[in-house]
Amino acid sequence: MNALRRHRALSRIWASDPGLKGWFTTVNHTDLGRMFLLVATSFFVVGGILAMLIRAQLASPRSAFLGPDHYNQIFTMHGTIMMFLFAIPFFEGLAVYLLPKMLGTRDLAFPRLTAYGFWCYVFGGSMMIFALLAGLAPDSGWFMYPPLSSTIGAPGINSDFWLIGITFVEISAISAAVEITVTVLRYRAPGMSLSRMPIFAWYALVTAVMILTGFPPLILGSILLELERAFGLPFFQVAQGGDALLWQHLFWLFGHPEVYIIFLPAAGAISTILPVMARTTLMGYGWIVAAAVSLGVLSFGLWVHHMFTTGIPHMGLAFFSAASTLVAVPTAVQIFAWIGTLWKGRPEMHLPMLWLLAFFATFVIGGLTGVMVAIVPFDWQAHDTYFIVAHLHYVLVGGFVFPMIAALYYWMPHFTGRKTYFKLGHAAFWLVVPGFHGTFLALHWAGLLGMRRRIDSYEAGQGWETINIIASISGFVMAIGFALVLIDVVVNAVVAIRGSRDPWGAGTLDWAMPTPAAPYNFASLAHVTSREPLYDDPELPVRLARGEGYLGDPAGGRRETLAVDIATGEPRYVVIFPGNTALPVLMSAITGLFFLGMLLKAYWLVPISALGVIGCVLVWVWGLGQRAPEGHLPVGRGLSLPTAAEAADPPGWWGSVFLLLANGTFFGSLLFGYAFLFSIAPNWPPPAYLEPGVLPLVLVLAGAGLAFLGPRFGTLMGQSAAFFGLALIAGAALPVLSESPDPTLHAYDATVWVFVGYGLLHCLVSILMWSAVGLRRLSGHSAGTTLGATRIARLWSDYTLLVALLTTAAIGLPGVLT
Amino acid sequence: MNATLRLSLPLTLWLAAFSAVYGLHGLLCSSRWATIAPEVPGRALLVGAALVAVALQVMLLAVLRSSRWPHPSVAIHGISLTLAAAAVVGTAWTLLPVLATSHCL
Repeated sequence: MNALRRHRALSRIWASDPGLKGWFTTVNHTDLGRMFLLVATSFFVVGGILAMLIRAQLASPRSAFLGPDHYNQIFTMHGTIMMFLFAIPFFEGLAVYLLPKMLGTRDLAFPRLTAYGFWCYVFGGSMMIFALLAGLAPDSGWFMYPPLSSTIGAPGINSDFWLIGITFVEISAISAAVEITVTVLRYRAPGMSLSRMPIFAWYALVTAVMILTGFPPLILGSILLELERAFGLPFFQVAQGGDALLWQHLFWLFGHPEVYIIFLPAAGAISTILPVMARTTLMGYGWIVAAAVSLGVLSFGLWVHHMFTTGIPHMGLAFFSAASTLVAVPTAVQIFAWIGTLWKGRPEMHLPMLWLLAFFATFVIGGLTGVMVAIVPFDWQAHDTYFIVAHLHYVLVGGFVFPMIAALYYWMPHFTGRKTYFKLGHAAFWLVVPGFHGTFLALHWAGLLGMRRRIDSYEAGQGWETINIIASISGFVMAIGFALVLIDVVVNAVVAIRGSRDPWGAGTLDWAMPTPAAPYNFASLAHVTSREPLYDDPELPVRLARGEGYLGDPAGGRRETLAVDIATGEPRYVVIFPGNTALPVLMSAITGLFFLGMLLKAYWLVPISALGVIGCVLVWVWGLGQRAPEGHLPVGRGLSLPTAAEAADPPGWWGSVFLLLANGTFFGSLLFGYAFLFSIAPNWPPPAYLEPGVLPLVLVLAGAGLAFLGPRFGTLMGQSAAFFGLALIAGAALPVLSESPDPTLHAYDATVWVFVGYGLLHCLVSILMWSAVGLRRLSGHSAGTTLGATRIARLWSDYTLLVALLTTAAIGLPGVLT
Repeated sequence: MNATLRLSLPLTLWLAAFSAVYGLHGLLCSSRWATIAPEVPGRALLVGAALVAVALQVMLLAVLRSSRWPHPSVAIHGISLTLAAAAVVGTAWTLLPVLATSHCL
C-alpha cells in the first residue's frame, strides 16, 4: 500500500462526520482542540470588552458611564470570564490539540470524554454569558466572598449563576485533566521514556495533576455556598456555627494553584518555542522538569498569602510568607534556563520570539511584585488596592497571554497549513506591549496612593486622575492591538499561501506530519530514541507516511493506537478508540438540565436529568471493550500485543485512578472544612452532637467487610457480596439521618448531611458499577475481557468503603468523646 | 522504586508536613484546645513536629540516593534527587517560623 492509499484508508476510518453534524458528533482531538481554542478566544474577546468598559468608567473622577450595579457585574464577570472561561480552557484546547501530536500518538486517551468536557464548557459558559446579557450576572467579585455573596449580601439569582455555572464548567476542566494525565503517562510513541518526553508534555502533566487537586476545594466551596443559599445550610453563617473564612480557605486552596495552572502551560510553550527560535536545544531539561514539579507542588502551600489581613496568628502568616518567597526559586530556575538557552543559541527575531521577549520583561516584573506582596507588612499596606490588580495582570497577561500569543503564531502554520504571510502581527505587538505597560505599570502607583480595587468611582483631588487617564488610554491601545492580532490570525488562516511541513525547523513529533493535520495524525507510529526525533532523522515523517512505523496497516478498519509503559515507553497493548457519536453532546446537555434545575429551583428537573445522565453513562460504558479476547495482534516492526480490553490496567482504570485523586481531594477538603469549623469557628460546639447508636456502626462495618472481601474472591458471588455490602453501607444512612437534627440549625448538622449525602452518592455509583460488570458477564462477555472493568469497580468500591469508615469516625466520634 | 513515585514523593511529603504543622498550629491556638489541654507546651510540639518533618525529608533523600533503590534512567534519578533536595530545603525554610515568631499572637 502506498502512502496516498494509506492516507485515504486511514482518513475514512478517523474522519469526523461531514457537514454540520460533524461539529456535534466529532470526538477527534484535532477538531475539539480547535473548537476549544475558538470558543476560549471568543470568551477572551467578551472579557476584553468588559475590561474596556471598566477602563472607560475609571478614566475620569465621578464618572457616570456605568452605575454601581452594572459596574459590579462587569468587573466580576471580567475576572470570572478571564480565569474560568478563557485561561484554563485555552490551555485545555492547546493541550487537546497538541499533546497527541507531540507524543506521537493518534488521539487522547478518552475521545468521548474530550467531547463531553468541551460541550459542558460551552453550555456552562453560555449560561454565564446569558446572565450577563440579562443583567443577572454575578456581582460579588470573582472570588465571591460570603457574606457578600450569601443571600444576605446578594439575595438575587446573580451569585447562583456563578456557583452553578462555574461548577458546570469545572466538569470540563476535570475531564480534560484526567484525559491529559492518562494520555501523557500511557499514550506515547513507543520508546518515548519519561526522560525523552517533549518538555511541553511535562508541563501539561504537572498542570493536569494540579487541576485534579486544585479544583475540588472550589467545587466543594461552591456546593456548600449554594446549599446555604438554596436550602439554608449555614456553613458560612457565624451565628449558626459557620464561618465566612472557611470560604476563603476553600477558594484560595484552589485560587493560588490556579495562578500556576495558568502559568505552567505557558512555561511549557516557552520551553518548546524558545530553543527553536534560538536554533538550539533546551538548556537544563532536567532542571526545568524539577522546577515545574516544584512549582506545581509548592503552589499548594501558598493559599493563605491571599488572607494575610484576616487576623491569622503571626506564625501562620510566617509559614505562608516563607512558602511564598520560596516559590520564586523554581521560577527563577526556569527563567535562567531560558536565558541560558538564548545564550547558547543563535536567536532569530521571528514574531513568536518577540512575544517571548515581552513575556520575559513583563513576567519578571510581575514576579518581583509578587515577592513584595509575599512580605506580610507590605501586603498589609497594598492589600485590596490597585497595586494587587497591577501585579496580578503582570503575572497573568505577562505569564500567560503573551506566551500564548507566541504559541499561536508558532503553531499557526500547523493549524492552517499556511505560511504566515501578512505582517499585521508586528504592528499588533507594538500596540499591545506598550499599551499593557502603560495601563498596569501606572496602576501600581494608583495602588500605592491608596486607590482601592473594585471602586466604581472616585473623587477628584486624590492624585489618581492622571494615572487613571493614562491607564485607560493605554488600555484602549492594548485592546486595538489584541483586535489586530485576531484579524492577523484570521487573514493568515484564510488567504495566506500554503506553507512547508516544518517551517521553523523544530525537532518534536508535532511537525512530523503534513499540515493541517490529518484526522489520524500519523499514518504509522514512530519508535522514538531521543527528545527531538526530527533532528536525529529528518526523513522520519516520510517513513511514517509510508507505514514503516507501528500500526501502519489500516486493514482492520478500526481506530487503533498503542499504550506504553509509563517509565520506559515500551509498548504494552493496542487501544481501539470509539467512533463518532452524539452521545457526549447529548449527555452534556442533560447535565446542563441538572444544573439548570438547581439554578431555577425547578427541583423536579434535577432527579430526572440525573437519571438521564446515568442512562447515558450506561450506554457509554456498554459500548466499551469486547465480548471475547482477540489474543495478540500484530502491530508492526515484528511486535504483537493484546488489546486494552484484555489488560488488567486498561485506560479506564487509569482514568478512574486520577478521577479518584480529584474525588479524594474533594473529600479531604470536606474533612478540612469540618476540622476548621470544629476548631476555629465561633459558636461551637453545637447544641448536641449526633449519637447514632450501634445499628449504623454495625451496618457500616459489616458492609465494608463484604464490599472489601467479596470482590477479592474473583467470582460472580463475590461481586454480589460487594453489591450487598454497599447496600448495607447505604442503609446506615437512614438511622443517622433520622437521628440528625434539622441541618439548617447549625453548621455541624449541615456538615453531617453533606457527609452522608457524599457517602450515599458513592454507594450508588459503586452499586451501578458492580451491576454493569455483572450484566456484562451475564450477557456473554468473557472473564478475560471484563477483568479491567472488574478492577475499576473494585477501585471505586474500595474508595467508597474508605469514605464510609472515615465519615462514620468524623461524625460519630465527637458524640462518643463528649 | 518506580519513576512516578520517585518524582512525586519528596514534595508531596513536604506538602503533607507543611499542612500538618499548620493544622497543628491552628489546633494549638484554638480557644477549644485551650480549654481541653491548657498545659500542653504548644511551641515545643510545633518544634518537634518541624524537626520530624525535616528528618523524614533527609531520610527520603538518603533513600533516593542509595544504591538499593536505583533507577535505570539517569535523568529521572537526577530529577528525583533535585526534588528531594528541594524538599529538604523547602521543609526547613517554610517551617522555620516555629522557632522565629510568636506562637498564637
